[in-house]
Amino acid sequence: MKKPRILKNGIAVAGLILIFLYVMISIVSIFYLPFDPTAMDAKAILQAPSLSSGHLFGTDEFGRDVLSRIMKGTSVSFIISVSATAFGAVVGIFMGVWAGYLGGRIDNIIMRIADILFSFPSLLLAIFIMAILGEHTYNVVLAIGIVYIPQFARISRGSIIALKSNEYIRAAKSNGAGRSYILAHHLLPNITAPLIVQISLSLSTAILLESALSFLGLGIQPPNPSWGNMLSSARKVMLFAPWTAIYPGLAIVLLVLGFNLLGDGLRDILDPRLRNVR
Amino acid sequence: MKRNIFVLALVLVLAMTFVVAKGTKEEAKSVSSTLTVGVDQEAVGLDPHIVTAFSSMRRLDLLYNRLVRLDENMKVVPDLAESWEIPDNLTYIFHLRKGVKFHNGREMVASDVKYSLERVLDPKTASPGASYIAPIERIDIVDQYTVKLTLSSPLASLLDALTSNNISIVPREVVEKEGNLQRVAVGTGPYMLKEWVQDNSMTLERNPDYFEEGYPVSDTIIFRVIPEQASLYAGVRSGSIDVATINDGAVVRQASADKSVVVLNKPGMNVRVFAFNNKRAPFNDVRVRQAIALTLDRSEILTMAEYGMGSATGPVPISASEWAIAPDKLPLGTVDHARAKALLAEAGYPNGFTFDIVCSATYEGGLDVAQVVQNELKAIGLTANLDVVEWGNYIDRWVKRDFDTMIELRGGSSEPDRFLYRSLHSTGGVNNFQFADSETDRLLELGREQTDPAQRKATYDKLQEVLSEKAPLVFLYCPNESHVISSAVKGFVQVGNGSLFYLTRASVEK
Amino acid sequence: MGKYIVKRLLSLIPVLIGVSLIVFFLVRLIPGTALQMYMGTQVEATPAQLEELKRLFGEDRPIPVLYFEWMGNLLKGDFGHSLRTGRPVLPDILSRLPISLELTIYSLLLALIIGIPLGVLSSLRQNTTGDFINRIIGLIGLSLPQFWLAALLVIGFSHTQGWIPMGNYVPITKAPLVNLKMFFLPSLAIGFGFAAVVMRYTRNSMLEVMQADYVRTAKAKGLPYRKVIMIHALKNAILPVITVTGFNAGYLLGGSIVIEEVFALPGMGRLALYAINQRDYPVLQAIILVIATLFVLVNLVTDLLYAWADPRIRLDEQR
Repeated sequence: MKKPRILKNGIAVAGLILIFLYVMISIVSIFYLPFDPTAMDAKAILQAPSLSSGHLFGTDEFGRDVLSRIMKGTSVSFIISVSATAFGAVVGIFMGVWAGYLGGRIDNIIMRIADILFSFPSLLLAIFIMAILGEHTYNVVLAIGIVYIPQFARISRGSIIALKSNEYIRAAKSNGAGRSYILAHHLLPNITAPLIVQISLSLSTAILLESALSFLGLGIQPPNPSWGNMLSSARKVMLFAPWTAIYPGLAIVLLVLGFNLLGDGLRDILDPRLRNVR
Repeated sequence: MKRNIFVLALVLVLAMTFVVAKGTKEEAKSVSSTLTVGVDQEAVGLDPHIVTAFSSMRRLDLLYNRLVRLDENMKVVPDLAESWEIPDNLTYIFHLRKGVKFHNGREMVASDVKYSLERVLDPKTASPGASYIAPIERIDIVDQYTVKLTLSSPLASLLDALTSNNISIVPREVVEKEGNLQRVAVGTGPYMLKEWVQDNSMTLERNPDYFEEGYPVSDTIIFRVIPEQASLYAGVRSGSIDVATINDGAVVRQASADKSVVVLNKPGMNVRVFAFNNKRAPFNDVRVRQAIALTLDRSEILTMAEYGMGSATGPVPISASEWAIAPDKLPLGTVDHARAKALLAEAGYPNGFTFDIVCSATYEGGLDVAQVVQNELKAIGLTANLDVVEWGNYIDRWVKRDFDTMIELRGGSSEPDRFLYRSLHSTGGVNNFQFADSETDRLLELGREQTDPAQRKATYDKLQEVLSEKAPLVFLYCPNESHVISSAVKGFVQVGNGSLFYLTRASVEK
Repeated sequence: MGKYIVKRLLSLIPVLIGVSLIVFFLVRLIPGTALQMYMGTQVEATPAQLEELKRLFGEDRPIPVLYFEWMGNLLKGDFGHSLRTGRPVLPDILSRLPISLELTIYSLLLALIIGIPLGVLSSLRQNTTGDFINRIIGLIGLSLPQFWLAALLVIGFSHTQGWIPMGNYVPITKAPLVNLKMFFLPSLAIGFGFAAVVMRYTRNSMLEVMQADYVRTAKAKGLPYRKVIMIHALKNAILPVITVTGFNAGYLLGGSIVIEEVFALPGMGRLALYAINQRDYPVLQAIILVIATLFVLVNLVTDLLYAWADPRIRLDEQR
């Protein structure tokens, strides 16, 4: 069997490897963690990373092992990122596709709603929603998901509009094909390319958004570890215990990088114009 | 050519950095008679009768005076009143200093005191200070420098109450002209307001007519708002700040190990407590509360949540040395897991139970304490879930009494009546524990009425025992008031309630 | 084109009204009120005092009434007074606008200065190792949480004076060098990530343009390679970069909220956070409205630029 296109692209592969690494860590963390992530140890407060103490990434202001907390935070980050993106994508694509296909007043109304959501900077909107709903994990998913709706709506609408005027669509219509049939069989399959790219972008941004929210105290609440709230509590000690800030941040960077590499590689594959210029 | 664009851009950025770095050397002026104070919150407003935030109080310490004030040992000493008489427990006569001037040049006289106190008591002002002096029935001007207060019922803590910033003496004409004093400051204090750049800095300059001879020492005080405690510390180290108010245990700990700065610590007046909702099961059963009181380990909580920067306390803040009994000398004062478990079993919870602790990560929400408490309670089989909420939410829950237990920071006082009455009397205004006990009420009322110090001491001793025994809340510790100051600062002394008044004695040697 | 602009401007009105409705009603859904924040847990109030306080804090009238009061005042130019400090809202916001603006502009400039040249370079060396490395660095830049970068910068610069704002903001007109020095690190924290975005877009649009027929024609005609690139390709690639900057204005504005918080710059983002924190409704409503309006206008301008460049979209709108 021929090698799938995706594996030929070095960048996408690099991304997949990083993501896979994190998935592994996430799974492992269910069964094994070097230390209990919420166990406090008054004798081990703010210890620098060392092999002998077993705290490979050091300890935080309560004596908790940083590495264990980072590992525990991995599953949380994944779940939030995937759920929020799924929510935003499903609702956004639904809105955008109907708006694009039906046009007219419905299009106007749907896009007005999307515009109103879109008129807030993402972080501000998420902060606002979290303030109203309260700081629970499921609300973080909701908040980020709502932020994503307009983007998915716009992209899917734009693609549908561009496709609608296509020859074969008109042919299908004149042959008597029903609306839903055309939608399902001709339109949807062809808008997947830009959506896939947007999805990978959203997965990466979701992690950044969640950590920003937790950083500001509006996301995952301590003592549950989230990379964002670890960075937040590290703020006051980071000048003399930099490891408490460096490692959680690094964890964020590498996972987000993984999603971004994947998205980039996918874009390379799916957008033939950019494949080779010379 | 394309390579050149890149190089050019890089050079441009580097050049900018270089020029900027070089250029700022000129800005470092050294005016040795300026004291720069770093604080982590901006003052909300400057009207002494209205503000509640601690950050605002710190500015008021320097802009206004009251009839009496607290010195560095938390004793009541004269301020605008140079002496007073208390002929009976309903009458107070104050003799004012002569020649004290407001910042607008007019002399402060008895009518100003009457005006100020009446403004505080007026419901239209909605002043937080009103509850402190509520029993005042009449204010008479005996002569230009003598004021007589008549109470409707005895209030032994009146003098202590009059030291509050909320009962500062203000000039009537300024209030009438401006509506309120939130944005202007015309007091009698050692410093005058020169400039206020919101969320940035406030500049105060010395009052040349201040009534204390030789004070203030420094000509100018600049308050700078820097929300990051670690940055405040860095500021003192680098010399851009002279005095910083730092209350974060981790930062103070670090600063204490640093030879280049000086750390001042003083037992504070605030009390960290673990509050029960006494109307909610199972906390309506005194045995459950006692069991928890027997499990909470004050010294461990202090070490973990405050890095040891505080002192364990009972119902009266431990630094009020005249009144306070140390917690280990009070009932339930030592950790005893066996007895705790027995009490739980007696109350019908041999296997423990689950409940919520409401706390917040910011301001006085005590998240750190909650995490330690959660850990400790595991030892007697109790599972505590942390209900961590945002600060506004926290206050909402407090107001609605919607909690099982809560971590709170209470403003204590060196005078037991002021703090304990409002918190624990069944009609107390901040008794959100919903505690109603007739013995406690009786003792509180007695302490308020009695005037003989020996009698009062006996009453409050008994009260501390009763409160420890009945445990409507667990009094944990008093966090230290900490200041990190540059080694060039001389003369600054702390006051247990955080007051910055003694900046008037401070100077920087550069 | 003119009709299109007018249409778009008109469509702004329902959007802004929608924003104002959302802001007004939803802020009051946040648990806790400004009055409660003011009283905290330490203040006792008698019933008479409480009534007065409620009147001062606007809690004695139903919400729809308050909304129409607010809108009415808004149309007269009165943005109300802060519940917490009593100061008029608009001057406070306006005084903070320059700071947020400075931060955004400096970040943008840094991003363009770093991003465009690197993007051009990368496109010319497509698929070489240099390009590969550039792309990875670009992606890393995109993956950095701004507040983490800010934290690292603070750690790195903590020992030196003047680089970290310490409640000593001065406007650029008073002391330009102090001002620039203070804004450098915060702008870098935001600009670095954005430079990555700019670089990638520059690279992509350069690649697209270089494929275009007229460029190939120019090359075939024998014009010198460098001249071709400089005159034709760059000119046409810049426009998409400008539009992507516009589309990402949200990134810049949102980034400024966190960075203002970390570096304690007294800008609008911090004011918004404070207002949410303190339930200071008038301030919160005004600031969200201002930010949303700015944002919408920037998006509109960007859309217009985009439409002017790409006729397909305009035609589509005229259906």
